[in-house]
Amino acid sequence: MKRDLLKVRNIGISAHIDSGKTTLTERILFYTDKIHAIHEVRGKDGVGATMDSMELEKERGITIQSAATYSNWDDHDINIIDTPGHVDFTIEVERALRVLDGAVLILCSVGGVQSQSITVNRQMTRYKVPRIVFVNKCDRTGANPYRVAGQVRDKLKLNAIFLQIPIGLEGDLEGVVDLVKMKAIYFEGENGEIVREDEIPAHLIDEATEKREEMLDAASMFSDELMETILEEGEPSEEMIMKAVRTGTLALELVPVFIGSAYKNKGVQALLDAVVAYLPAPENIENTALDLENNEEELVLGNDPEAPMVSLAFKLEDGRYGQLTYIRTYQGTMTKGDTIINSRTGKKVKVGRLVRMHSNEMEEIDVAGPGDIVALFGVDCASGDTFTSNDISYSMSSMHVPNPVISLSIVPVDNKAQGNMSKALNRFTKEDPTFQTFVDHETNETIVSGMGELHLEVYIERMKREYDAEVKVGAPQVAYRETITKQAEFNFTHKKQTGGSGQFGRVGGYMEPLEEGEYEFVDKIVGGVIPREFIGSCDKGFKASLVKGSLAGFPVTGVRCLINDGAAHSVDSSDVAFQMASKGAFKEGYKKAGPVLIEPIMKVAVESPSEFQGAVMGSLNQRRGMIIGTFEEADYTVVESEVPLAEMFGYSTILRSLTQGKAEFTMEFAAYRHVPKSVAEEVMAEAKKKREEKK
Amino acid sequence: MVTNDLIGKNPLGAFKVDSKGNEVAQRMGLVMARAGVGKTAILVQIALDNMLRGQQVLHVSIDQNIEKTKTWYDDILRDISSASEPESYASLQYEVMRNRMIMTFNESTFSRPKLEERLNDLIYQDIFRPSCIVIDGFDFANADRQTIEDMQELQKEANLNIWFSAVSPRSGQEEMSKEGIPAPCNEIADLFDTVILLQAESNGQSKIFLNIVKDETGCVEPGKSLRLDPTSLLVWGSTF
Repeated sequence: MKRDLLKVRNIGISAHIDSGKTTLTERILFYTDKIHAIHEVRGKDGVGATMDSMELEKERGITIQSAATYSNWDDHDINIIDTPGHVDFTIEVERALRVLDGAVLILCSVGGVQSQSITVNRQMTRYKVPRIVFVNKCDRTGANPYRVAGQVRDKLKLNAIFLQIPIGLEGDLEGVVDLVKMKAIYFEGENGEIVREDEIPAHLIDEATEKREEMLDAASMFSDELMETILEEGEPSEEMIMKAVRTGTLALELVPVFIGSAYKNKGVQALLDAVVAYLPAPENIENTALDLENNEEELVLGNDPEAPMVSLAFKLEDGRYGQLTYIRTYQGTMTKGDTIINSRTGKKVKVGRLVRMHSNEMEEIDVAGPGDIVALFGVDCASGDTFTSNDISYSMSSMHVPNPVISLSIVPVDNKAQGNMSKALNRFTKEDPTFQTFVDHETNETIVSGMGELHLEVYIERMKREYDAEVKVGAPQVAYRETITKQAEFNFTHKKQTGGSGQFGRVGGYMEPLEEGEYEFVDKIVGGVIPREFIGSCDKGFKASLVKGSLAGFPVTGVRCLINDGAAHSVDSSDVAFQMASKGAFKEGYKKAGPVLIEPIMKVAVESPSEFQGAVMGSLNQRRGMIIGTFEEADYTVVESEVPLAEMFGYSTILRSLTQGKAEFTMEFAAYRHVPKSVAEEVMAEAKKKREEKK
Repeated sequence: MVTNDLIGKNPLGAFKVDSKGNEVAQRMGLVMARAGVGKTAILVQIALDNMLRGQQVLHVSIDQNIEKTKTWYDDILRDISSASEPESYASLQYEVMRNRMIMTFNESTFSRPKLEERLNDLIYQDIFRPSCIVIDGFDFANADRQTIEDMQELQKEANLNIWFSAVSPRSGQEEMSKEGIPAPCNEIADLFDTVILLQAESNGQSKIFLNIVKDETGCVEPGKSLRLDPTSLLVWGSTF
């Protein structure tokens, strides 16, 4: 029987840390009968929320890895990815968004649109994910969903419209008014499992009517039928309104807003109804892949279960039963026992156990079709790999992966830890492309690098807990780079005559700063003064020079090397000779090109009660931070700044003590910028000292 | 030098120095226009003149977010630097960023004590010392004389140039002060040293004029005017 793809929803739940994502997911699982008891995130019952399956997550009360889970609501299959809220784990959010068709953006009714919500929203826009907003925690003191919706319009630039209004707020939150049905909805019973519809309370009728009109105005832009009905002063049907809202939402031009409190069991079932009604089915979304046999031509994937199979591995987990690979199938069907191909490695893989995941419990299945999110056992692959049937060679378009900005050295405490550390690193680097590792051959130390202090801390902690690999951690190191500031010419001849065949090559041209990108090679040689076969050698020579700059030994970036002159010898010129000549030319030009040190600058947003604004600005200023701006929102102020990463180590402790623990900050990479002279001298002296120690 | 060239081309730089060649350190300035005619663009061009001269400017946006305010600067900077070397834009943008701080407030939270407190936070900790503040989005229609007098007092105490923007109504029937300053600022016109009026004329092709209605600092003679580019809202390249 053909599965009705219109009855599938792949959704993500994304938000700022502590907005209640995990609690909401927990409630969804409860109401869809996937779990039979509710546990809190930092549960008094000591169990912890089901979605936070990693021990560390339970302890810290944050969600580190997305856990995929399956549920069923109103005869629709809903796959949910619970995503982390901290910027350091953004790659997880990005991966989840890549495979999802729609998303629920949770906002706290008190905190409103916070910095991480802005980042997440930007990511959703990048991946064209239709979304709905759930204003959570409406039971909290200071709850104001109207202010939050205003922020959604202002800060996120989304056309937010209320589809519900609250019945009471803060401690008086009783339920919601559904503006489509024009009915009050109450959530009763011990866990809010009984949904009761009633008439709208008299005191809310005017407000509900006004908000309904606003909603109809916005929705009518997406339906001629609705617009005509309104113009003719007729009464639009529920179906007509829902269809228009759905059209607007799928077109990314409308964002319906829902209200509730997951913790108090209010509004969750109505949100599930909205997921089904307004978020897209796989058939509503266009996905593309690259045809590797046809010059990477982009092609649109259908949702046909009979078509050749294409699926994407978006997450790996090492569970009790070996490696678990989460995949999303885009077209075709994957059946237990099939042989499929990893299009990156070309290796054949046999589909063994196929499971549908519910956090850390699983359900065995035999077949996965288009739009399904399932997990495979025992498949060796990296995150982001594409699997296809035998007869095609497609790759899903590559995912945006930011470069790591911070690194530290780790040394295993004993031999046992050494082996376990290798295993752990092997796994983590496969799982997370922003977590990278290499061995520094000069010091023989293992270096790990990532997106922030917390990012690395979590992996080090996981090494210890999951792999029993205890390591000594060095001080965090900033990924300094070198670059040039002006154009400089070079003209270098490499000549060697020491018996036997000699070496000869001359390379002339210039290098100049490159605005975007790390390196560019331009060949402007005319008349064959450097023979064609050695042009590549020149490129190689320059590239080799980028590995270590002569200023302080850091990698060189942002350089365009152009060659326009040179000379060769019919006997003595060779690949090696031109590589050497280019290295010499680079060295010669580099000295004259005003080389400078550059450092990663982070965009730091600190949110604190307004009375601490001065202290916060002072603390950022002391860290060489440049304050971009401040904005005041109720009693809170957000200070936006750009601060060198080198100055941000340990900032969370400082901020806590400055603000009595009432402030929080987010940090993400912004750009590389010149290191001020006085600091650069220190960094260079330190680098020199290290080099000498190594000798 | 790209920067010097840009300073030279900005006619609003005329407000820096009076006819005797003395720098004008204090001013209450006002840019008035109907909605959508270019008040923010003129405030940004006044601010940019200061920033390019290496002076720090505090940009106060009321009911507008930081991102939107930044975009104003980026767009205008891109327009004015497009004629110069392409790589100059990035370094200009950085220079401007160093000399600019944006503060956004909700209409309800903005007041003199609040602004003064924020300003003191910056000055006492030596974080930022503005010589000019531009205040965009202040609601003159609902402000009383005392509020503006308070702002004037702050301007004098802190030795600043403060430039406000104000929306004039569309009707054309509004009351005027004796200098020709329309409501809602007609009755507080005496509190301002300089008043600029932006006026759009649309007789087939839209034209926007920047008219100097009042200037008691002796920088630009009242009655003089400039024409804005109606697309970019720039006055760059023209002279009084």
